[in-house]
Amino acid sequence: MKKRIRMVLIWIVILTALIIFFKQSNTYIQSVINQLLCNIILVLGLNFITGLTGQMNLATAGMLALGAYTYGILTTSAGWNPWVALLAMFAVGLAVGRGLGYPSLRLKGFYLSLTTIGFAEIVRLLATNLTDLTGGVNGLNYIRRLETFFYKSEAKNDYFMILLAFTVLAILVAYKIVNSKWGRAYKAIRDNMEAAEASGIDISKIKIQAFTLSSIYSAIAGALYAGFNMYINPTSFTVAASQNYVAMLMIGGIGSVPGNILGATIVTVLPELLRKYQDYYWILFCTICLVMAILVPDGIYPLLKKTVLWLKKKLVKKSAAGEG
Amino acid sequence: MGAANDINVLQFIVIGVAMGFIYSLVATEYTLIYNATGLVNFAHESFIVLGAYLFGGTFVRALGLPIWLAITLAIVSMVLFGIFASTIVLNPLRNLQFVTYAMFGTMMLSRIIIEACRLLWGPLPFTVKGFLRGSINIGSAALPTSYVYIIIVSIVIVTGLQIFFKTTRTGKAMICVSQNKDAAALTGINVTRNINITVAMSAALCGIIGILTAPLFNINTGMVASTALKGFCAGIIGGFGSYPGAIVGGILVGLLEQFGIMFFPATYKDVVAFGVMIIFLLIRPSGIIKAKKA
Repeated sequence: MKKRIRMVLIWIVILTALIIFFKQSNTYIQSVINQLLCNIILVLGLNFITGLTGQMNLATAGMLALGAYTYGILTTSAGWNPWVALLAMFAVGLAVGRGLGYPSLRLKGFYLSLTTIGFAEIVRLLATNLTDLTGGVNGLNYIRRLETFFYKSEAKNDYFMILLAFTVLAILVAYKIVNSKWGRAYKAIRDNMEAAEASGIDISKIKIQAFTLSSIYSAIAGALYAGFNMYINPTSFTVAASQNYVAMLMIGGIGSVPGNILGATIVTVLPELLRKYQDYYWILFCTICLVMAILVPDGIYPLLKKTVLWLKKKLVKKSAAGEG
Repeated sequence: MGAANDINVLQFIVIGVAMGFIYSLVATEYTLIYNATGLVNFAHESFIVLGAYLFGGTFVRALGLPIWLAITLAIVSMVLFGIFASTIVLNPLRNLQFVTYAMFGTMMLSRIIIEACRLLWGPLPFTVKGFLRGSINIGSAALPTSYVYIIIVSIVIVTGLQIFFKTTRTGKAMICVSQNKDAAALTGINVTRNINITVAMSAALCGIIGILTAPLFNINTGMVASTALKGFCAGIIGGFGSYPGAIVGGILVGLLEQFGIMFFPATYKDVVAFGVMIIFLLIRPSGIIKAKKA
């Protein structure tokens, strides 16, 4: 109980600090933070299938695009209420998760990673070519934002509060799932498929479930992304973008919620910090990623955790020695 | 009416088969690495781009060498690059705990190579003047020279590879490693060395693909983006991990997409390969020719 109160207090402190920081930042930093919140939701979703279950999913951008476009079309030409449109994201996520997961996840091996690339490309090509529905390369404009009864959000500034609320919700749900029976089943599949099967886990069913969860998260992130930009076009949804989300997952530390948040933050913020190297910022960033992939494959969060534990041990030893 | 149709059909078939062979070569090139290491090399697209840049950018344009020398040097440098990439990146990645880690590593390698190409050779696309231009006339049909060369070179490479696997010690060892790594190691095959050779071969093949596709697309960092993806599709359709499957799948994709233009708007040409792949996954996931695995 005491621990829980402490956790809630820490959360409140972090969120208040973030809100204060956001309010007094300039528009550029504010839009980076908004983007970061969307990315966190996406990576939490990706974590279920790639991080926990160990199946490489490269359709994140495709799912994001489907969410963003569905939300965009529903709120503009179809004239739906944004909240109802947001509910439709569950339908989108379920459809993609089942539809794409069924053919590719029944099989062992790399089928998922290859089909997801194909799927993401099909979505991007459709978004570019179905000009009547999606606006083609010109994109979709005047997308409506989520509004609450106590304020109408017109500026990006206010939308931040809604994004933050969704991010917190997404983190809590992801945390619950990761530490539940489901989360343990996912990890079991990643660590040893044969053993998991022998202990009664229905591999393909669980894999499809993880994939569906991931699609729902991505679709919701897509709707929020469309809402905060109020404009979308197909160039934001390439395979390279999907690889970026995988980078967030891998660099932070796969499998754990704090690792995901850390990874999303690093990969969103680091390129912005490296921008002063101009032409070389992207190659620098990618080299850092590759070196980390080879030397610290587990990601930064487990490394931090180990360091903290090691320091604690040292301190305890020291104080014990001091008393003795 | 009849005569005009005949010409179109002949040209359609040649272009379809030629593109199909390019997909086959892409499928073969990543199947080589997949069979040797169990990894899918997401950097293969960048290997192809690097090959094209080395050939067109450095050896032909900057150094002004004759074409045959440029081709030889480009392939030799790709072999060296393959050994380098295998030692620095692919071999360390192979031993990681989860396959997803290694896949992520190859993706980052790909980005580094592409960025390096952009920085070294500049962001503007360019062409190799006079290389495989013009067309060959057969009867009344005009066949682009580059497509004809693609078909001839591909047939030579594909048969050469089959002979290499069937007759040489190294080739047989490579087949052993692809079927069972532990057993291969037990019979005294040096798996690491085997991987180095395979990656070098794959890189050389990528270089050849880059040179062959240079006349079709301008040389730029995104030149083979969709070709590389369709190569993956061709591999799955033909049978993942199988070399004859890669060829059959590639030619099938090339022809289907060429004849698809007759029935669908040309903008959806790129969707054909992915659509066929998903149908195959649903009905016959092992592909047309199933790979042998122990």
